[in-house]
Amino acid sequence: MAELRRRFSTFVSVFIIFFFFFFVFFSAIVLPTLASVGDLVELEEEFTEELLLKPLPDRKVLAHFHFEILAPPSPVNGRHHHLFPKAIAQLVHKFQIRELELSFTQGRWNYERWGGSDPLSMANAKPPGVELWATFHRPESEIDHTWKNLTHALSGLFCSSINFLESSTAFSAPHWGFQPNSSVLRYGALPREAVCTENLTPWLKLLPCRDRAGVALLLNRPSIYRGHYHSQKLRLISSKLTGVKLEQTLTIVLHPSVERYGLDSFSDGSTQPSWSLNSLFKQQLMGKCALAKDSRVLFELEHDLASQIDETESDYTWRNAAFELSTMPDRVARVMKSLPNQDSSVLYGFEVSKSSDSMPMDVGIKWKLPLIWSSSHAPVYASRFLMGSGNERGSIAITFQSSHLDEWLSTGSDGCAVHAVVFQVVPWYVKVYYHTLNIFMDGKRQTISDVVKRMKISPSEDKLSPGTMELMLEFPCDMQSATLTLDFDKGFLHVDEYPPDANQGFDIPSALITYPDCYSSRSYQTVDTSHFKSSLLPKFKEGNLVQSYTEVLLVPLTTPDFSMPYNVITFTCTILALYFGSMLNVLRRRVGEEERLSKSKASERRGLIPLLLLKLSSKLRGKRPETMQHSSPLPSSSSFFGPKLFIKVVLVAVLAIFWNYYLKDS
Amino acid sequence: MAEISKSDPLNPNPNPPEIASSVRRTTEPGRKRLFVTLSVFFSFLVGLPFLLKSTEIYRSPLPFSSIESLSLRLRSEPPAPPCRLQAVFLRPGGGGGTADQLARLISDEVDKSIGSIPSRGSCGRNYALSVTVDSGNGACERSGDGESGPCYWPCGGIDVLELSNEDGIVDELLDSALGRRGQCLGTGGKIYTVVVAGVEGEEGLRTVLGKHRHAWLVGKVGESDAVLLITKIFVNFFLNGGREEDMAPGKGEFVPVGLDGSVVLSFSLLNANPNDWVYDWDFQMIDDVLLAPVVEALAPIANITTESQVLYHTPKSSISFWDGNLGGNIFSIKDLPFFVNANEWHLDTSIAAAGRSKILHFVVYIPSRNECPLLLQLPNGHISKTNGFISPMWGGVIVWNPHSCFADSQGKHFVRRPIALEDLQKIFQILVGQLRLLFGFKSSYISDDNVDMIQFLTSEKGFTEWELDALYRYHACYNLASCATTLESLSKLVQSLPRMIVMDEIGKQVKYSLEAAGLAQNNTHLGIYNASAAASLQARSLAEDAFFHPSIMSVSYSSLEHYFSIYMPFFAPVSLHLILALVKELARYRRERAKYSSFVAEHAKAS
Repeated sequence: MAELRRRFSTFVSVFIIFFFFFFVFFSAIVLPTLASVGDLVELEEEFTEELLLKPLPDRKVLAHFHFEILAPPSPVNGRHHHLFPKAIAQLVHKFQIRELELSFTQGRWNYERWGGSDPLSMANAKPPGVELWATFHRPESEIDHTWKNLTHALSGLFCSSINFLESSTAFSAPHWGFQPNSSVLRYGALPREAVCTENLTPWLKLLPCRDRAGVALLLNRPSIYRGHYHSQKLRLISSKLTGVKLEQTLTIVLHPSVERYGLDSFSDGSTQPSWSLNSLFKQQLMGKCALAKDSRVLFELEHDLASQIDETESDYTWRNAAFELSTMPDRVARVMKSLPNQDSSVLYGFEVSKSSDSMPMDVGIKWKLPLIWSSSHAPVYASRFLMGSGNERGSIAITFQSSHLDEWLSTGSDGCAVHAVVFQVVPWYVKVYYHTLNIFMDGKRQTISDVVKRMKISPSEDKLSPGTMELMLEFPCDMQSATLTLDFDKGFLHVDEYPPDANQGFDIPSALITYPDCYSSRSYQTVDTSHFKSSLLPKFKEGNLVQSYTEVLLVPLTTPDFSMPYNVITFTCTILALYFGSMLNVLRRRVGEEERLSKSKASERRGLIPLLLLKLSSKLRGKRPETMQHSSPLPSSSSFFGPKLFIKVVLVAVLAIFWNYYLKDS
Repeated sequence: MAEISKSDPLNPNPNPPEIASSVRRTTEPGRKRLFVTLSVFFSFLVGLPFLLKSTEIYRSPLPFSSIESLSLRLRSEPPAPPCRLQAVFLRPGGGGGTADQLARLISDEVDKSIGSIPSRGSCGRNYALSVTVDSGNGACERSGDGESGPCYWPCGGIDVLELSNEDGIVDELLDSALGRRGQCLGTGGKIYTVVVAGVEGEEGLRTVLGKHRHAWLVGKVGESDAVLLITKIFVNFFLNGGREEDMAPGKGEFVPVGLDGSVVLSFSLLNANPNDWVYDWDFQMIDDVLLAPVVEALAPIANITTESQVLYHTPKSSISFWDGNLGGNIFSIKDLPFFVNANEWHLDTSIAAAGRSKILHFVVYIPSRNECPLLLQLPNGHISKTNGFISPMWGGVIVWNPHSCFADSQGKHFVRRPIALEDLQKIFQILVGQLRLLFGFKSSYISDDNVDMIQFLTSEKGFTEWELDALYRYHACYNLASCATTLESLSKLVQSLPRMIVMDEIGKQVKYSLEAAGLAQNNTHLGIYNASAAASLQARSLAEDAFFHPSIMSVSYSSLEHYFSIYMPFFAPVSLHLILALVKELARYRRERAKYSSFVAEHAKAS
């Protein structure tokens, strides 16, 4: 930026040109045509912003920012925009994107504590690192090429290494494992990508108010990056009928700081910390973004918590026996209850437009009763780990722990079964042997055909494509735990293919487990009959499939000594050269002559030193042993110890002294 | 020494002790070992080309000589497109000098003026001048060989009195009389006409420069004055397009066209503080009505696209202060370098920003309430009429103040206010003026002291035809020069790195670029300005494509050092062995043969 400014300033200082009396050019020519066009066309680009807050059972707080921009279908999409970010519109236009989701995540979502089945966690729990998937309005043959260009464009837009997904070894084309019926979908993940402000800033730039106004004002970088989980997501849906919809969400799990509201927060023995927006983000919420159609803060109480409060027989006003909200909510809504033990979360809505610079909004909660609750359960918890040791082979295991299957399946009879779809992409250098698939259920080994109902496997090709596994499993409802194992060999990479820090190991992206029988949806209804218009809540209403991402695996591979190629070259070449040289010498050897030489040598008697000197000199001068042999040792030795040698020795000594005294000191 | 003479008394050459000291040789020395050594040596020599061939790097042959000749040609004789000038004297009464005399006078004057302005893209001395004296009633006198093609002045086509009409009407009248659109596509360049109508009795002189390729002088004017005026119009406007200082080669090389031959005009409406007010525009309408003619006119020099966006929360980064006398917040020229707030103005949101195309930013800044109205103060203390400035190669900024700076805030209800049509029209007048400046023209000729005598007609395209001609010529020459430089650098680079991979695609691009450059040169010589501009643009962008081909950027080509370091560990020790063996064997063989030959000689003597 400094650069731009410098350039700009130099240019400006050189060429500032002002305009006087401009109105000769263009005079009167265009006015009539302009007038005929008439007034501005009605603008329909819409922007809404929402923030959902939810206390979590483990004393943490979930904050979910939701921004939505809608561009109606228009021939000028991608060229002229009022609210919609031009960069995104151009991407959609250029690559003919039908749907796209890009998420940057730091930390791992805790499915057991933070929610394993509620619509909010299902849509926003993402695997660590970068995950990107997209579908296109393009023929099948062009999709790979489009995907490659798209990764580069996104990489530039979000300052990250998404372009590593360009290589065909990095992305895959799942058929039904990731989304049902998705033949034109491409999926790629970069588990090691670090996510930080450099990714958040370009993401914020897409918002009309950026972080200058509205709920995005709360995004104080030190506060949000101190959190336990941080996932920023961008989702695009484009069609000819509805135009382009851009959803940007940011999900953070924060730990409220220790300072409490009043002194009594400890004394009343509440187990939960009391908090407010200000204490969470260290930032005030001062008014809405002027361009937003809706700006709202929502406060949600979990089903389990809400039913506990029900038991205390307090009503859902903002001050009751269990807790006290710091601001009076504008609306209260509750999940429509059809069955007695069904979800019954409570939602409080606050309009941000009521706040201003002078009167910031500080939504918060103060607990009055010690309450312990649990968040929504997943039907089955899945986790994945590595087995085996050494650098040669190992195995991947995925375990399923049934937790609350009965909640999900009403038919608790014998024939009841739960389905799980496993989608896993494995890089090519982890060579999975899919025939070694073993399934154990409650410790007993099962025949694969009994459990696997559907299977699609595309094995990896070396340096060409990753291995993709899509499995549909069927577990009986009374299953307690199941394990799935797969053996693999570790491959060897070419020396160029190792990443900079190869000794750290290689990451296998998270596997995705989907439960196609289990949908999570919530539809809220206001307690009074007023209308609750929100862009976030309809998303909860749509049936979201229950799913979970497993851990990322770290596979250590044998890393070579990277100077090895040169060492190998020099070693082999030296050995070859030695071999060649000795062969050549053997070929040239004259055995008879050498024998004659040694005989005549033995016949002559010499002192030891002259003999050695002779040998040395013969070596130095090349092989002329027969000539030396016939010359008398005396003259040669005399020539060695003659004045010439003396002069040489003296010369060397003088040089040494000169070196030692004059050159070294300087 | 005694022993030497004793052992070999018959040696004719006692000096080399080796020969002298050896025993006598009675048999011919064997050649077996020598043969083995030699065969190994020669097999190495034979194998060497195969090794070199197998480790060769693929290099597509580039036409180095054509590149060199192109750049030499462009340097030695810069392309000067031809122009044709025509002066028409309407003298209903006759009298005055003959056409030939006038032609001589004018061409002397033009030569004198041109000598002082050698510039790129002007026709230079490559012009043809013809003078027609139309004495009415179809009686015409033409200078020189009396060329009277369909493009030249039709005798008696226009009555003198018709020139006293309103300027716009006269302009169209002359255009229809002279241009006969479509018929003058012949070679030799465009014809520029100045019509001098000596109307008696009319006071003063009226000089008008039309928006097509002609000008007219109406009124009482002496012959010498007319000649001077005609020369001025020819040289300053028709030949140079009204540009001044920046036409000299080496200076003013700012051509705001991207390396791939495209320009993105990115228009941004910045609402400094949307909490005060939010203005919006219907850019599609502006694009269709106001910008489309400009884009169309500039099509031969660049592939132009327009984009727009509205940005919010974009305060300027310089400080302004309130001046009660001027009734506004003032920012001065000193603040201009800091006006553009690179932190908050996210202008580079176009996909094109990543490529090699050029983006020209045009920013309409709407100040917030507390800095409204925001006025630009000139160094002389006046307020700028346009309230805007440009930054060459970057774009332009104008500040537009809402009419009701002090009206109530929009309050709770967010209202998107459209900018009124009149305001939009004014804003885009200024923006097109800024575009003209960015392309090297004057924003307008009104304030120019040199041309205060001349009136100018304007075109809805933003550029008049004669200006566009000059622009095409300039761009054709500039693009050719730039293409030649790029190709030259490419060939230098390729020649300096003998182990660089040169892909076939690069070779193809270079070839096509040279072809396009040839076509552009050809068109330039023929005087087809727009075609030469388009061809030269293509040549330039192909040359740039070749130079910036991704394979050239890669560093993975193996350098010579790399090559040596791989083969040295083998070849250095092996060749040492081989050469030593060869030398020794040869030396031994020669020695032994000498011994043998001495023996043979001795034997022959003895026998």
